Amino acid sequence: MKHNTETTAAATPNQARRNFLLLIPLGIFAGMFGAIATAALRFLRPSSATQEAKWINVAPVGELTGNRPVMRSVIAEHNAGWASTLEEHFVYVLPQQSHQVLSSICPHEGCNVVWRDDMSQFACPCHDSFFGADGARLSGPSRRGLDPLPSREENGVLQVRYQFFVNNTEDRQVRE
Amino acid sequence: MSKEKKERNAQQIAPLESDWLSRWTTLEDFERSIVDNPASGLEAWARTTAGAVAVLLVLQLVTGLLLAFYYVPSAESAHTTVVYIEKVLPAGSWLRALHHYGSQWLTLALALHLAQLFWRASYRRRPVGWLASVALLALILGAGATGYSLPWDARAFFGTRVTEGVASGLPFVGHMARKWLLGSNEISAVTLVRFFALHVLIIPPLILFVVMARFFVLRRRAPLPTDSEERRLASFVTRQLTRNAITAGVVFLALSLYAWLHYAPLGPAADTAAPGYLPRPGAQFLWLFQMLKYLPGRFGSVVAVGLPGLILLALGSLPFLKHRPLSRLLVHPRRDIGFALFALGFALFTTLTIVAYVKDATDPNVRAQLSRQRAEEAAFRAAPFTPLRTRASESGIDETLDSADAETKRRSDAANVSASPRPEASASPASNSSSPNANALPNVNASTMPPDAYVTQCSACHGTRGQGASPFPRLIGVNAKPRRAVEDIIALLNNPEAYGIQPPMKSYADKLTEDEKRAIAEWVVSLKKR
Repeated sequence: MKHNTETTAAATPNQARRNFLLLIPLGIFAGMFGAIATAALRFLRPSSATQEAKWINVAPVGELTGNRPVMRSVIAEHNAGWASTLEEHFVYVLPQQSHQVLSSICPHEGCNVVWRDDMSQFACPCHDSFFGADGARLSGPSRRGLDPLPSREENGVLQVRYQFFVNNTEDRQVRE
Repeated sequence: MSKEKKERNAQQIAPLESDWLSRWTTLEDFERSIVDNPASGLEAWARTTAGAVAVLLVLQLVTGLLLAFYYVPSAESAHTTVVYIEKVLPAGSWLRALHHYGSQWLTLALALHLAQLFWRASYRRRPVGWLASVALLALILGAGATGYSLPWDARAFFGTRVTEGVASGLPFVGHMARKWLLGSNEISAVTLVRFFALHVLIIPPLILFVVMARFFVLRRRAPLPTDSEERRLASFVTRQLTRNAITAGVVFLALSLYAWLHYAPLGPAADTAAPGYLPRPGAQFLWLFQMLKYLPGRFGSVVAVGLPGLILLALGSLPFLKHRPLSRLLVHPRRDIGFALFALGFALFTTLTIVAYVKDATDPNVRAQLSRQRAEEAAFRAAPFTPLRTRASESGIDETLDSADAETKRRSDAANVSASPRPEASASPASNSSSPNANALPNVNASTMPPDAYVTQCSACHGTRGQGASPFPRLIGVNAKPRRAVEDIIALLNNPEAYGIQPPMKSYADKLTEDEKRAIAEWVVSLKKR
């Protein structure tokens, strides 16, 4: 369509009326969009996976001896959305550190660290972070040492409360 | 005409868009292609069936998309995820009700739209648009039929059964059509995924294709209008857009309100349905359902598939029905045939739908059963949501933990049990989890392997190890129930109905030898929860 600049003087009543009339469909479309968008946002909002703060048995304390960290697996229940999942996680028990329990998840990007007996260090196989036998950070990209998990001894059995931590931060925060 | 004069003075730019849009897009061409000759008054409003169809179509796409964020098309999860949408998610039941009732409203809106197009002899003036609308109605009906199976509750399950039955009754191709539809020889986990793929991945793209083709490709080449025509058209575009928007808004508001007040139906999982369950189809298929009652069985399928197909096909062929012989018989062959088709369709649809409702309301037995089912559904809706229990594949957690009966055991497991000792501290977690697949199946020794006859005849529904898959009951632990000793199971295989078991479980009296039946029964009895 031609663009006629001569008639700018006539922003005629007709034209104005048409433009005004356009507000009706625009308003209706906006209303419908708003109603659905509001519902959609509420519907899609992520739910945080909850896990009940349960004490999970690791092993009888008598079995956890020696000079090196002992790896054990624990099974924790995670509730997310419609599913309740039992997941296996690995932890290291430090018999020499009054049975402190460390998460095996590297605080850098979340790989599982392994104990290197030849070096007496924890090593992350993904990005070469190294940690001492007590979990303290030694070298590599990780910004903090391995994360300790709350633990207790109950009737001679070591128990742990499994948690996730925010990765790649200097201070340790439990992930919510 | 003073109005014309006024318009002549109007600025000669597009009314709808800024200069920028008219310069850089073909939006104006598009508008011109979808807008018909200007009309006013009642006719202009009648044409807004297009707006109703458009808003309902968009709503189906958007709500379907949202539901897909949570729905899992597997026999194990489908029902749980739909219940989760209904009971837990904010706005979930509203969005699902919009989707459920929207599909019925859309069918109605499309039928009205077609009638409106027919009234304006659209098949003659804009044959391609007419064809697209007919194709759209067929696709919408297909989407409704496939979507009905997805919640995998009793209603969905029996809906699938009827679809299957109708398909199998087709002449010549029936047997194959049924198998292709089910993906197996019985309704199974494969069936659900097939219906899901059709409903979500095949039909919506086809719908979009038809709509896009109708708007952007299959257009009549409009002659360039003169200036005065152009202006008249431009002002009509604006007004007609407003009319369509108003109709769309009213339809949206009405459907929103309806979906707010009525839940989309959802019952307990299919495997818990009591004998005597009375399934009822969606409102848009009620007439076919009622018709099947009056037809002798062997014609049922042909008519149920053939009649809607024939009506749609005949409507679709209207633009081409102008042969000599026809015009000798009828003065306006297309108009007369079309009118007869609409009258027939309308009469069939309304009378049979009304009869279906009246029958359900008057037959005391049916009424009692339906109200029982409604009460069951209401109780189910009021019950709290129970999450699906799963286990991470890498852990060696006992397989039977996903059974509802083992819930208490599971709870204590999660709370107390730790894993087996791992002697070598230096082993990496990765190496420990290197054999997860061995743990994915429970350890079964050779003596607990199912007999061959079980594998070939039963495992498709009841699972390779008797674990079942909703709605097919699990056999593990079935021995604990009354009347499920070895002899009972053999008798049950011969005559399931005597044990109150409904189809699809059928008699295996002739399909298994006595030895095979005994082997299966003994193996099933040996399946114990650990």
